Amino acid sequence: MLVLTRKVNQSIIIGEGVEVMILEVRGEQVRIGIKAPRDVTVHRKEIFELISEENVSAAGTSPDDLPPPDKPA
Amino acid sequence: MTQQLQSTRFGALDFAAEDIIHFPGGLAGFEDRRDYVLVEHAPDSPYQWLQSVESADLAFLLVEPGLFVADYAPEMPVRAVKNLELEESTPRVVYTIVTIPRGRPRDMTLNLAGPIVINVESRRAVQIILEGDEHPVRRRAFPEAEQAAA
Repeated sequence: MLVLTRKVNQSIIIGEGVEVMILEVRGEQVRIGIKAPRDVTVHRKEIFELISEENVSAAGTSPDDLPPPDKPA
Repeated sequence: MTQQLQSTRFGALDFAAEDIIHFPGGLAGFEDRRDYVLVEHAPDSPYQWLQSVESADLAFLLVEPGLFVADYAPEMPVRAVKNLELEESTPRVVYTIVTIPRGRPRDMTLNLAGPIVINVESRRAVQIILEGDEHPVRRRAFPEAEQAAA
């Protein structure tokens, strides 16, 4: 992993057009601003992982298990 | 021109190129599967399957969230709106992915944190990742089953 030290209002540039700027440091929290082209998605990792895992679970759903009578009451 | 795929769950499926729903970024965890077709679960059923064109055994069960959750109106992230080229007037549908644990239909859950939005005109789609905690990844479809089990 590349490790860089930055101060508030300093940025790093990643590849074509992705900029990550440190906006504020307060105690254990760091506020980060991200500029990215629209085809680059940006998410907090833990939320993305949660949804990926749920997609994997959902992909195991079988047509045989649909609740009768097939519709919510 | 009609194409055919041999799906694991539904057998042979005929579809046309214009039936394909294209996810430019795939779904979370399935980024390399980008083309899907919608398959009716049964006539008049509110459930549909999002069947991968590329993987015969990959399908997601979808339902319109409004059937289970009255007040579900997640704010669309700007980036997703742009990706889908959604204008105010563009027709769209929002689905939620359903998970049913094997053999336990009453424990069905809806993923409200990762809805599927389809631009009906262009047939481009995205799975939106909703930041924030108000939309659960596993919302029970039948809350009364919770009490029965307790």
